This record gives sequence, C-alpha cells and structure tokens, in this order.
Amino acid sequence: MAEQEVHHDRATRRLWPALAFPGTFWLIALFLVPIYAVMAVAFSGSINIFGEPNPAWNPLDWQFATFNEVVSESVSGTYQEVWIRTGAYSVCALLICVAVGYPVAYYTARLAGKRRGLVLALILAPWWINYITRMLAWVNLLQDDGYVNKTLGIFGIAPVEWLSGNSFTVVMALAYGYLPYFIIPLFASLDRIDPLLLEASRDLGMGAARTFLRVTLPLSKMGLITALVITALPMAGDYYTNTIVSGSPNTSMVGNLIELFLLQGPLKNFGASLVLLLSLVLMFFMAYYLILTQRASRDTQ
Amino acid sequence: MGGQRSFWFHCEGVGMNSDLTDPAFRRGRPGRRLSRRDVLRGGLWLGVGVGAAPILAACGGSGTSVVGGKAPYPLARPDKPVTLPFKDSNPPIDDGLDPETGGAFKILNYDQYMAPGVMKDFGDEHGVEVQVTPYSNYDEMLAKIRTPGESFDLVFPGPSVLSKMVYTELIQPINHSYVPNLKNVWPEFQDPWYDREARYTVPYTIYGTGVLYRADMVTSIPDNGYDLMWDEAYAGKIYLLDDLQEAIGMSLLRNKISTDINTSNAADVQEATDSLIDLIGRVNVKTDVSAYSEVPEGTATIHQCWSGDPIAGQYYLPKGETPDVLGYWRPDNLSEYVIGSDNIAIPKSASKPVLSHLMINDLLDNDIALRNFGWNGYQPPLTKLSARYLIDQDYIPENLMNAVVQRDELDAGLTFYEVEPSTEALWRQNWARFKAGG
Repeated sequence: MAEQEVHHDRATRRLWPALAFPGTFWLIALFLVPIYAVMAVAFSGSINIFGEPNPAWNPLDWQFATFNEVVSESVSGTYQEVWIRTGAYSVCALLICVAVGYPVAYYTARLAGKRRGLVLALILAPWWINYITRMLAWVNLLQDDGYVNKTLGIFGIAPVEWLSGNSFTVVMALAYGYLPYFIIPLFASLDRIDPLLLEASRDLGMGAARTFLRVTLPLSKMGLITALVITALPMAGDYYTNTIVSGSPNTSMVGNLIELFLLQGPLKNFGASLVLLLSLVLMFFMAYYLILTQRASRDTQ
Repeated sequence: MGGQRSFWFHCEGVGMNSDLTDPAFRRGRPGRRLSRRDVLRGGLWLGVGVGAAPILAACGGSGTSVVGGKAPYPLARPDKPVTLPFKDSNPPIDDGLDPETGGAFKILNYDQYMAPGVMKDFGDEHGVEVQVTPYSNYDEMLAKIRTPGESFDLVFPGPSVLSKMVYTELIQPINHSYVPNLKNVWPEFQDPWYDREARYTVPYTIYGTGVLYRADMVTSIPDNGYDLMWDEAYAGKIYLLDDLQEAIGMSLLRNKISTDINTSNAADVQEATDSLIDLIGRVNVKTDVSAYSEVPEGTATIHQCWSGDPIAGQYYLPKGETPDVLGYWRPDNLSEYVIGSDNIAIPKSASKPVLSHLMINDLLDNDIALRNFGWNGYQPPLTKLSARYLIDQDYIPENLMNAVVQRDELDAGLTFYEVEPSTEALWRQNWARFKAGG
C-alpha cells in the first residue's frame, strides 16, 4: 500500500513538469530566443560591408545609439507621424468594429435563437478564404475603373481614387479584416450572461434600453475589452493590409516602417529597434488589460 | 491587370510581401475559437517572435565588420582607378572548356532589361532554358545574390556596388579568352576606372538620368526640367526612380544644394531628402523603375528616368499613338548630367560559368547588341553602334535624340561612385525617412 503511494507521488512529480514542458518550450523557443535575437540586432554596434548590423550576441557589446535614435525620432522626429497615424487608424478601425461588431454579437447571442449556428457560421465564413485573397478582391473592386467607382458613376458621383494612399480605405480594410476576431470573444461573453439577470432587471421595472445599459453592457465589459485587445494587437503591427490597399508612404503605419527596414535594404537594426519599441507600447496596454482582468476576477470572488 | 496597380509586379520584385507562407500572415488567424488572456499573451509573444524571423534569417553569413565606417578596400574614382584583386579562393574558369548544356541558365537582372528574343536564341543554341529573376534596385539584387544556396549565371552590377561584390567574392573573374568581342567596346570601357583590365566586368549599357514626360500633356518645359516633378498641375502622375542615389542625387542637383552627388555631408543629404518628402504631400509622388511603360501608357505624366526609357518607351505606346507624345528632358549643362553605366558580371555561384562567358561575348557582338538595344532602348557602349549610327538606322525618333549618350559626354558628366559604408548609411537612413512618408 505504502509502496503504491510512493509510485503515485513519483508519477505526479513527473507529470507536472511534463505538462509544463510544451508551454516552457514555447516560451523559450518562440519568445525568449527571438526577442533576444531582435535585441542583439537592435543593439548592434558594428556593420558589415553591406551596411547590415552584425548581431551583438554578448550583452556587454550592446550599443544603444540606434535604439535611442529610433526612440527620439518616434517621439518628436520623422517617425512621429507614423506612430500617430498607426494609433489613429487603429482607433478608427476599432470604433468601426465596435459599431458593427457589438450589434452583431448581441444579435447572435441573444436574439438569433434557432438561427444562431447559421449566423455564427456566416461570421466565421470569411476565415475559409485566405486573408490576402479577400484583400485582393477589394483591390479589384476599388480600382479606378472597378465596380465601386462604376456603381458610383450610375449615381453621377465622380470616381474616387480609393487605392494608392487613401486613409479611409486603409481604415475600412483594417476594420473589415479584423472584424471576425472582434465579434467572436464578444459573442462568447454576451452568451455567458445569465438570462435570469436580464429577466430580473425587467421584473424590477427597467425598460429594454436601461436593462442594456445597466446590466448587459457592464456584464459584457470584460468581453468587450478582450475583443478590443485581441483586435488591436495585430492591427497595430499590421503591414500587409496597408501594402495591398494603399502602398503609399502617405498611409504608412509602424508595421510598414518595420517591413521597410527589415525587408528592404540593410538597416535591420532600425527595424529591430522599432519592433522592440512597438512591443513595449503594446505590452503597456497588455499590462493594463491584465490588471483589469485581475480586478474583475477578484470582484467576482 | 489593366496597368492599374503595380501590386503583382511589386510582389515579384520584393518576393516576400505576398508570400503566403510568411508567418506574419498567420499571426492573426488562429484556427480555433479564441478564449481568454492566455491566448492573448501567447499571441503577443508570437507576434514578437514573428518579427524576429526575418532578422534571424538575415543573420547568417554576415561577413566582416566595417571598422570606423570605412571600406576595407580602395574606393574607385575616375582619377583613382582601381585594379580589383585576383584571389586564390576565387579563380576564373580554365581556358577552352566545353559549354554546359541542359537545365536552366539563370540571369539576375532588372526587369525588361534584356531582349526576350536574344535570350531565347541563346537558350535554343545551347540547349538551356534562360530564366530571369528580376530586381528593381541594388539592395534587392544583393539580397538575392547573397541568398545561401541560390545560384545565378549572370548579374548586372554598376560601379557603385562592384568593389564590395568582389571583396565578398559574390562574382568571379572573367576569363578573357572566351570574350574576344571585348575589342568591340569603347576603349575606355576595355580598361575602366572602376575595374582596370576589365577583370570582373564588361560593360552592358550607358545611360543618362533625366525626365520622361508626356509631351502632349506637359505644356511648357521649365529651364530646369526637374521642376516638373514639383509641379502640382501633374499631381498623382509624378514618379521618382526607386533608387536612393538617383532620387536624392536629383534633389541635390535640382535644389542646387550640392553638385557632389556622392556627398558625405549629412546636412546636404538631409536637405535634399526633405525636399523629396515635400513631394509626397505636394504631388503624392510615387517611386518605381518602369518609366518606359508607365509614361507611354499614361499611368505617369512625369517620370524621373534613365535615358534608355524614352527610347524603349516608343515600343510601349498604345495603338495609334506616335513617339511624338513622349519627351525627354536632360540638364543642358553637362556638368549636371548624371551618366551611369551597367556592367555584366558572372556570379561566383554560377552553375554554368562557361555559358556565362559565351553569353557575355554574345552581348558584346555588334549585331546581337543592336538587336538587344532595339528592344530595351539602353545603349551598349560599342564603337560601331555610335550615336550617329543608331540615329541613321532609325532606332531613335527625331524628338528623342537627346536621349543618346555621346562618347565625349562621358567625361564631363557626373556619376555615382561606391561610397564609404558610413556615407551609404547616411543616405539610406534619409531614404528610409522618405519611404516612411516623412
């Protein structure tokens, strides 16, 4: 009997590390090593003949001149506009996501009834088609002589130059591309709201509007924030949406700047510095989100 | 396609932008239902990791450090010619070898820079399939030729990237016993200042830098034709060459900031770049290297260009239009005319180096070179194919005769040199400012 217990203990002792292994491996191989590589490039102090930074693997060799330059250019220099634009585009696209996504999620969770599965399937349908393909379809539609301009022409509206540097197009494309990621977590949160609470609210004399404002909205707050974070993170680093529907420096976002430095020409230490800076900015928002969720879970306990 | 968007070309050129296997595209696309903050955290890490992937890929084989921003070899100048060294580790091929046959013969070149007919005939004659991998600037060219495991049989570097390619053994010496046609080229190019004895290169083309415009739409040409690029009347239809030296160099000259188009003066380069950045807001300026097709087709009205573009442009006109609709402006003052040259070289990675030599010899043959010129519009510096000869043979329309480079203009004009790495970094950082939209 005693022997069996020892065996059991041993097995558990092995089980827990084994369960932690995938996560640990993920953390080390896909986060710590890459971020260290980014730092080694960003803080490199020497270049090779092609002007590329030689990665400084030894932290003692790190030089911060490039990183400092990138930070100061971002705060008050030539990149400042790009950062502001990134923030403005993301906020506008997120507002569109809220305006479009919240009613859809609400409808799906509360009012769709039997058609719920169908509605969910339709929301997820775009995921069956490759992101690039969907964006390229927009390029066809929005071309100078594309269907959108032809349709506008029927109503006597002059053709609009949608592509090649139109902020409106970029914001709409971002909202369009990321909308499903916004709806799904919000739907999950709205779906979890106990219908009894809503009924109680109505029984106690609140109308539909006040029930929504006083019960549904507060209860879905965390879901809304989760949806915003999940959408905002990739949006802030996006470059391909912008490249496809604009490609003009007029609409460059931070992701485009990073792409420019990393993929075109040898100034990879500038790109790496921007990656670090963007990560820091996003981590700041992440930290705020984590504090919020912790507070929320404490409140429910 | 309709010439509306250059997206497809862009993809081909950059090669990575639309790569569906690019992990960045997977970043926001989880296959399963999204749940809570753990997923979020993981997503953040993944996002960061994805950002690192291209850097890691670029880290391999970075070569020697540059100390103090100075190149570890002499930089060639017309008054300080350079004889590129032969190295034991990078010998030329032996004399009298049989040409290789079968498979692909891979050329790394600007798009539309060699006549398809010339390539096809060469392929048929030697039983190979000639393939072109295009680039639109030297950064792309260097990135492609340095890709580990890649092999190319021919490449077209100008003097501004030559020494570093020899130093890092990206190209191999040319065995002149296979290239008797070198005698056909202008004597100064048989022993050029950037490569004495033509050890690693032979010349391919010479060209000036100017402005290609639609003569039927541009009503008056200012004294300085570069002012056209600042003219709001043509907003949205104005293009710069997608080449940092050409674009910033043009701004240095146009704005009379400096006549040194290889300057290491940070303030001058910054001022020139600021003026280019001004073009973004003013005329929504765009960049590419396709003036030869975009001006004739009407996508561009004003396009900074190389002088081969107007000549090639006559073959890209829509049906019913004559070359009269094209105009080429170049500085009247030769001391402000940028004249460049491209060379042919053999990558060290060539899998068919004997064929590479044979194609080089073909391209210096008077008849084949003329045929190539008749397609791409870029003038080969061959003695027989003088400006007079090309005009007499009706290759150049009357109104585009100023696009031909005369032999005596070569010494008077400006040219881009290979510069110190620190100077190159200065230019690049400014170019990145322009590309980032100011």
